Order: sequence, then C-alpha cells, then structure tokens
Amino acid sequence: MAQYIRRRLLTAVPVFFGITLLVFLLTDLAPGDPTDLLGEGAAGAEEQAALASALGLDKPLPVRYLLWLAGLLRGDLGESVHYGQSVASLIAQRLGPSLLLVGAGVGLAVLIALPLGVLAAWRPRSLWDGLSNGFTVAGSAVPGFFLALAAIWLFAVRLRWLPASGMYASGASGSLSDLLRHLILPAGVIGLTNVGGLLKQTRSACLEVLGEDYIRTARAKGLREGAVVVRHGLRSALIPVLTTLLSHIPHIIGGSVVVERVFGWPGMGSLLFSAISGRDYSVIMGVTAVMALAVLGTGLLLDLVYGLVDPRVRYE
Amino acid sequence: MRRRSILAAALALVLALSACGGASVEETAAPGGAGGAVTVNYGISNPWDALMPYYSVSGSNYARIIYDKIYDRLAYVHAGGTLSPRGAESWESDGEGYAVVFRLDPEAVFHDGVPVTAEHWAETFRLMTDPACPTLGKANFALLTGTDENGNRVEGEAFGAEAVDEYTLRLTFKDPTTPEEFLLDKNREFYVLPTHLLEGVDPAAVMDLDLWEAPVGSGPCKFVEQAAGSRLTLAAHTDYHLGTPDFDYLVITVVDKSNLLTALIAGDLDYYAFGGSVTAEDAPAAEAAGLEVLEGTVPNTFFELMLNCEAISDARIRRAMDLALDRELLCRQAAQGRGMVTGSSISPASPYAQAAAGAPARDLEEARALLAEAGYDGRSYTLACTSNRAGLAALIQQNLAEAGIAIEIETVDSAAMFAGMADGIYDMGIASHTPGALPLWFVESRFAGNNNIFHVSDLAPYTQLIQAIKGETDQGARTALVEELEGLLAQERPFLPLWFGAALHVQSPTVEGIDYASSSFSNENVWEWVVRK
Repeated sequence: MAQYIRRRLLTAVPVFFGITLLVFLLTDLAPGDPTDLLGEGAAGAEEQAALASALGLDKPLPVRYLLWLAGLLRGDLGESVHYGQSVASLIAQRLGPSLLLVGAGVGLAVLIALPLGVLAAWRPRSLWDGLSNGFTVAGSAVPGFFLALAAIWLFAVRLRWLPASGMYASGASGSLSDLLRHLILPAGVIGLTNVGGLLKQTRSACLEVLGEDYIRTARAKGLREGAVVVRHGLRSALIPVLTTLLSHIPHIIGGSVVVERVFGWPGMGSLLFSAISGRDYSVIMGVTAVMALAVLGTGLLLDLVYGLVDPRVRYE
Repeated sequence: MRRRSILAAALALVLALSACGGASVEETAAPGGAGGAVTVNYGISNPWDALMPYYSVSGSNYARIIYDKIYDRLAYVHAGGTLSPRGAESWESDGEGYAVVFRLDPEAVFHDGVPVTAEHWAETFRLMTDPACPTLGKANFALLTGTDENGNRVEGEAFGAEAVDEYTLRLTFKDPTTPEEFLLDKNREFYVLPTHLLEGVDPAAVMDLDLWEAPVGSGPCKFVEQAAGSRLTLAAHTDYHLGTPDFDYLVITVVDKSNLLTALIAGDLDYYAFGGSVTAEDAPAAEAAGLEVLEGTVPNTFFELMLNCEAISDARIRRAMDLALDRELLCRQAAQGRGMVTGSSISPASPYAQAAAGAPARDLEEARALLAEAGYDGRSYTLACTSNRAGLAALIQQNLAEAGIAIEIETVDSAAMFAGMADGIYDMGIASHTPGALPLWFVESRFAGNNNIFHVSDLAPYTQLIQAIKGETDQGARTALVEELEGLLAQERPFLPLWFGAALHVQSPTVEGIDYASSSFSNENVWEWVVRK
C-alpha cells in the first residue's frame, strides 16, 4: 500500500503543477491587473508603473511563474497586494471555516443520500422512492445561489429561526451552538444542491445489488431484512457511491465559493472571489494551490477508503 | 485490524479538520459578548484593503470608510458640502490664499494615549511624500509646494506642510486654494499617522511594518482584531476628543450585496455602509420588517458613459450619441428614477451647479443629421460594462440603434473594463463614481497627460482651462471659466454624463443619529451614533 501511495503522490505532482500553471496563465490572460484598479481607475501612469514594478508585474510571465514556484517551494506564497498580509496567514484564517462548511455540506448530502437511496431501492415506487426522486430532481435543477437566497428569505427573514449571514454572532464568543446555528443554512444549501447525484447513484447501485443472487441467498438463510439490505446490499453499493462522491468533491469545493459569498462565510471561497475581482494574483495562486491539494488529497484518501469498503481492491 | 486503524485515522483527521474550524471561531470571535458589552454590527459589501491608509490599492470608499474609523482626519465633510471640526478645531486661509492654517484639537490623542500634535501631521506628510516611500495615492500630495507632479517631495524646496507650533499646522499650496475647497476635495485622502512609532524607520520599508496589522490611530475606534477581507472588530476609543462612541465594539463584516438587506431584516446587522443598495421594489419589504427607508437628499453617485475619443474620433458622432440617449429612461431603469439627469460632471449640490451644462433633450433627428454630416459608416462600437449594468447597457444599445449607431456589449468586471478603456480595447464603458462638491473633481484627474482615459488627442485646451480655474481666486471669474470648460466638454463630448443618483437607504431602529448621507464623503459620525439595543 505504501508503494501505491508513493506512486499516486508522484503522479499528483505534475497534475498539481499543471493546475497552477494553467491558473497562472488564465489569470494573466484576464484583462486588467491591480494597477488598473488603483485609485478607482483614476491613478496616473507613473503611479501605476511604480506599483507594477513593486509587485513584479513588469517582469516576463515565465519569470513571474518561476518566482512564484520558487516561493512555493520555500513555503512562501507571497503577500496580498490588497490586504498587505502574507497569503499563508490569510489562507490559515480561512481554511478552517471552509473545511468545516464543505465537510458539513458533504456530510449532510451523504446522510440524506445513503439512507434515502437505500430505502428507495428497497421499496421501489413507495413514498421513499417518490421522496428520492423529488430530492434528485430538485437538487439537480435548483441553482445553489437561488436556493441560498430562498433559504435566507424563508428561515432568516420570514421565520427568523436562523441567522442570514456570518459564522457567528457578535458577542457570542464563538460558542459551538452559535456556530451550528450559522452553519445550518450554508451547509444545508451545499448539501441539498449536491445530494441529487449521490442519491441517484445510491438508489441505482442498491437496486442492482439487491437483485443479485447472494442477496437472495442471504434472505433464504433467514437473515433479517435490515441486515440483508445494510450489511450486504449497501456495502456493495458503496463503491459506485464513493466514485460519485469523489467526482463531486471538486464541484462542491467550487460551488462553495458562491455559497460562502452569499452567506458571508469567512472561507477560502469568499477570499478567492474578492481576490479575482481585485486581481490579487498572489492570493488567487495561493488559494488555487490549496484547493488543488485538497482535491488531489481527497482523491487519494477516497482511493484508500475503497480498499476498506471493497475487499477485492488491492493496492498493487 | 489494519482497516480499523485506517478508519480510526480517517476519523481523527475529520475531527482535526473540524477542530481547525472551531479554533478559527475562537480566534475571531468578537470579544466582550459575555460581559454584556454593546456591539454594533456593521455590514459592508466589499472588503477593505490593508489597514495602512496610504497603501490602499483600490483607493475605494470601502477602504476609506474603514480608515475613517481608525484614523483621524482634519475635518468632517457633510453630504451637503458643509464642514465640521474633527482633527482640526478651526481653519483659516493664509498667505494670500496660497496657504491654510489649521488649529488642531489639543484634546485629540492616539489610541496609545500620545497626544496628536501638528508635528504628527507634518511628519505624516513628509514621510508619505518621501520619494523612497511607496505611498499609493501619492499624487494627492502634489498640490503642496515642494512636491513634483507625482507628489514626491523635491529636495531643496520648501515643503508645504509645517508645524507652526504644537497645535498649529500650516499647509502651503502651489495654487490659491480656500480651506473649504481643500477639505472638500482632499480631506478624505489625508489621515494623521502615529509618527512617534515610526521614528528611525526607513521610508522605503514603512508599508512593511507589522504596525499596520494592528494599527494605532487617533480615530473614534481602536483596532481589536481582523480576519482580513472578512471581519474587523473595533473597540470604542474612549478618549476620542469629539465624544466616546455609544458602543463597546463595532464589528464590521463583509456581506454580499444580495444579502445586506436580509441580514438587516434578520437582525444580523444594525447598519450597512453606503445606502443605496436597496431598490424601490424592496423598500416595502424593509418597511414591513420595521426598518426605516430614507431617501437621499444629496446625490451620492455620478453615472457616466466613458468614450474612447480615438476610436470615436469625430466629435459630431459623440454628440450624436449624446442626443440619442434617453437619459430619463436610463435613470428610471437603473435608479428607479431616483436621480437627476445631467449633461455635466458638476454635482447639483455643488456651489458651481449653475455653471454646469444641462442635459441635452433627446433629439433623434438631430443625432441622425450629425451622423450624416460626420460620414458615419455604420461601424459597430464596443460597450464594456459590469454584469449588474447589463440591463442599462441594453437600453443604451437600443437608444443608439434608434439613431442608427450600432454597438456591441461586452460584460466584464471592473478591472477589465478600466484596463480595456485605458488600453483602447473598448470604445465605451459605463462607470459610476462618488461625486465631489468641487467643479474639477472629475475632469482634473481624467484630462491629464498621465491619465488620458478618454484618449483625447489634444489635451491642451482642457488642461489650460483646468489650470486657469485652479489659479483663479475670484469666485465670479472662476465660475465663468468653469462655464467655458463646460462648453468645451459639451462641444467635444469626450464622455457622456448621464445622471446623479440619490438612492434609498434602509436604517435599522437599533442605531440612531447616523448621518448616513455623509458616508459618500467617506466619513461617518460614529461618535454621535446612539445605540438602542
């Protein structure tokens, strides 16, 4: 297994640098740079040139990328032109909230998709199946930002059950209960907008597995129905479900940018959003690097979990 | 067993990640909640820059309104163009109109308890104009004697900022300038720095100091902590010379514009900066939720259509565009009619409003005649706009098409639009600005050799008039020169003024006494706010 991990890590290295190179090129291709925003577009050419020189924007593109890479290898992600702080410290402030939000959103999606998918497969054309179809269609059809605004209107404005924005209330001293209250809406939106694909996959995988001969054998042996469905059916169905989850992770991380922005969640997404608007190149690259690592790391982690779920998988 | 170990490790990883999130909460939590402290929750739609006021890359109001809390300025500028004392108790013209003497408030102290003196102000000006100091917005200092056109201090020349005595500051200008004109134009650009903490620092390294991560100023609020670009916690400066704010903490949070009103209704916010985010359609919902909806009395936004005079080189075509626009319709679409259409960048609230060119009436026949006279060949121009102005751009496209002018719309972000206009990629662009009270607030910086954003081939007629206006001390003669400049602009139309907006503002009952209209001048009277919680 160690050899497998080593091999996966080695293949991840060029992918990681490929991502950073691509983002660096795309960022440079986008019209405008921080000097264009200087003084709300009213700054003189000399001042723009001085800032460009101070930021190293007057250097050729390959040199700038190599300088960024050299900094990355030294553990220096550069400094934010807007905030005047190191990118590493900005990311350190935002990483925890982002992981919490994405983790809670994914967790919620899994918590809904797995039991509902199994129930829908176990009792086709039942209420559970209808509910499953409803979640699948709604989750796939309703855009995240719309669901976010609708949720704010209903739960924060009309019912006043939950806060509309932020990570905790002022003066709440960061209590866990306050954090959970603030987490419900954004995590709920991430969960619900991503539950569709997962649910559909769980249901179809379970349907296939529940028709297998060994399931019939298990029932014939007199095993309880719950044990048959969960221990034998669900476990086998988990592999395609994990594949779907794996393929969804980048999408969920990307989608959380909008959710963080709408809910004022102080995560990496809102940091990236502001950085792109302000052409804060160091922050864009720093966040991209961390997100790329998160996606690659998740892929590796889920590959390893395959082996736990499916005894047929061997790391060779 | 091995699988269980791996599962346990995965579980531990998940818990660690959760703990990571939790730790951040503790670190950034607003202090004082448990002790019953009064906290005002302040929302803002865009993040601020670095907390060093002379190193703001955006130079935007979103950054200035934060500096306004931490650092002190010379005066407080009201929306109507009147002034109140702030760092300075009083001011008077001196040196035959070439200088202004400020009497500073001797009660003013920095957050570390050190009194603010004239030497702090003079040293701030000296340091920020040092050629080695990477000040952003340095050109703002170029009006002082002893500086070059970029605001760099010139060795061997008498510098125009001096401490006459402990509490008297004298500023000397290159052109005659009244105290009111100086303050209306530049007050928001100048803050006093704690120079007693900057002694011996290399000017080139000033912006790199750790001081700006936990800044010390003399404004009404003290820095407590921040998650940059997301949340800033300030505490009341209890020794603020104009009065102690009626709150213990001011927590400033970045909230998306789409959620500002709902956050106010939900009670997450007590106030949000820069009224105008609420539309007429949303006003009834806000009122039904117990919020007060106020209509601005002073314009706080100026809308213009930037033109590329190199691409649209014939002034007759630009005038035809001017005549083809239905400004009333555009204003209704974009500002629900809460605006005053204009043919000038001079604000209706300016003392020079009578010299401003009026908005031309829509005249499609005249527009077509001008196009025919100019030999317009039917070419299509590119109009750049941000996504929130796509509807407005479509109306402009329709207006111009009715006169026979073809345009294509490109939706881009602000940086791309300004860069594209500067580089000549786009022929037109829709922009808005916070207006100033002075007649040159808009044109002076845009008709300069180092910022010719409209690509005017010959700037001399404009710059000569601008210099003449700046050098004229007689009010009547100056107004006549402003009229002459307005006439030139109306004839050449290097940009098309559209309207001045005075938008709606929603106010929570939890805070009273907010002079929200003056936030357009990047200052807020937080020391006068009354908290009703």
